[in-house]
This record gives sequence, C-alpha cells and structure tokens, in this order.
Amino acid sequence: MQVKAIQIEEVTIFLVDGEINISTSPDLRKLFEKQAAKKVVVNLEKVIYIDSSGLATLVEMLKKMKSQGGSLGLSGMSEKVKSLFEITKLDKLFSISQSQDEAVTRVK
Amino acid sequence: MKENSTKKEFLVPSDLSEVQRVSSEALSFLKPLGLRQAVLFDIRLCLDEALINAMKYGHQFKRELTVRLSIEYDQNEVRVLVEDQGEGFDPKKIKNCTEGENVLRGHGRGLHLIHQLMDEVKHNPKGNAVLMVKSLKESLL
Repeated sequence: MQVKAIQIEEVTIFLVDGEINISTSPDLRKLFEKQAAKKVVVNLEKVIYIDSSGLATLVEMLKKMKSQGGSLGLSGMSEKVKSLFEITKLDKLFSISQSQDEAVTRVK
Repeated sequence: MKENSTKKEFLVPSDLSEVQRVSSEALSFLKPLGLRQAVLFDIRLCLDEALINAMKYGHQFKRELTVRLSIEYDQNEVRVLVEDQGEGFDPKKIKNCTEGENVLRGHGRGLHLIHQLMDEVKHNPKGNAVLMVKSLKESLL
C-alpha cells in the first residue's frame, strides 16, 4: 500500500493505492494519527482490497476528526469496497462521494 | 460435498505475515473454477478474517500454534474450514456491529462480514472452527 498526500486549498487529500489489510492498516493508522488537518478526504479509488482492520482504521480516523471538530470524506471507492461499507452500515456514518472533487466540496 | 471434489489443506503458523501468503495460495488453488473477481474477493476476505480471528483470539498470536485451513470445491460450491486450537467462543455473544454504538467500535466486523458474504456459515459446538460455504450458482465468469 502506498499513500500520497496532496493539498487542495484547505483540504488534505490522502490518495491510497493498494490493499488496506491487517498488515498495511497500522501504517495508515500511524499516518492518520500524525496528520493535523481539519478537513480531510481519503481517496480510495485505487484501493483494490480492504478488510475489517482497514474499515476499523477509517472509523478511528473519523472519530478523531469529529472529536477535533474536523470533517472527513471518502471518495472513489469501487462497488465492491462500497458494498462492505453498506454491509457494516458504515455508509451511514461516513460522507461517501463518487468523485474526489465532490468529496472536497462536501468537507469544506 | 460430492466425492469428486478437490481439496487442499494448510497448517498455518499464528503469525500475521502468513495470512497473505496462505490466502494467495488458496485463491490460486481455486483458479480452475474461473470465478468472477467479486466472488474471489468475498472468499479471500472471509478466509482472511477467519484466519486472523483464529490466530488472534484462538492462539493469541503464538506462532507455534497452527491454524488448520481446509479448502475444497466441486462444481456447486467452495467450502472453507478454519480451525484453531483455542478454547472456542460463542458466536451468539458477539455484538452486532451494525447496531447502535457498535457501528463506531474498533473491532467486531470480521465475523459479520463472513456471515453476510458467505452463503452458509457453521460454527462447531466448541466454537473453535468455522465452516464457510460459497455457492457457485451465478459465481462463474
């Protein structure tokens, strides 16, 4: 898994590429813990696999952002990844957008 | 499972670094079936979740304790059995991760995913083995 961070105005975007699994999610968690932006989008367009540890990592990130008065959006997930959010009802918890641009607008 | 099924067994040390290696081998074993990517995704996810649960809760990641994985298929279904050497657990006592504040919890989604993505899931009475069945109707290319 590789993660690249870019900035669009006041929004930090994490572009995640690869698998978010039990082996890679600790790295993502560390990255999220270090970041201090108030408005964040995680672009999952290139995420080909995510397991329960990956979902838990995103939930932790959301809780952290909310407790700090920030906002977090997810974008670009495949139909398969999105179905896991629906099965676990996490689609009700997260702001999920089809495109990165839409997600950026929603977290502003 | 009919007599003409194809079967493979693995003994997996309780080490997270083994999960990817074993699930990759298991998926290669299923290649002759020509399954759709979405079906392979479901099988892999359930296999990974069950292996991780066995290593974590059954064996507390003691590498010397092995998880038994058996994967078997015929033209109708894929059957995956994951068994650990632990005390077992009562699946009825696991909180539903989709209800109330449980949605926000940091764990507890693995078993729910298994039950949702597989067509049949059975736990043995001791609670240290789970059998997961994926029907192959509508699962082929």
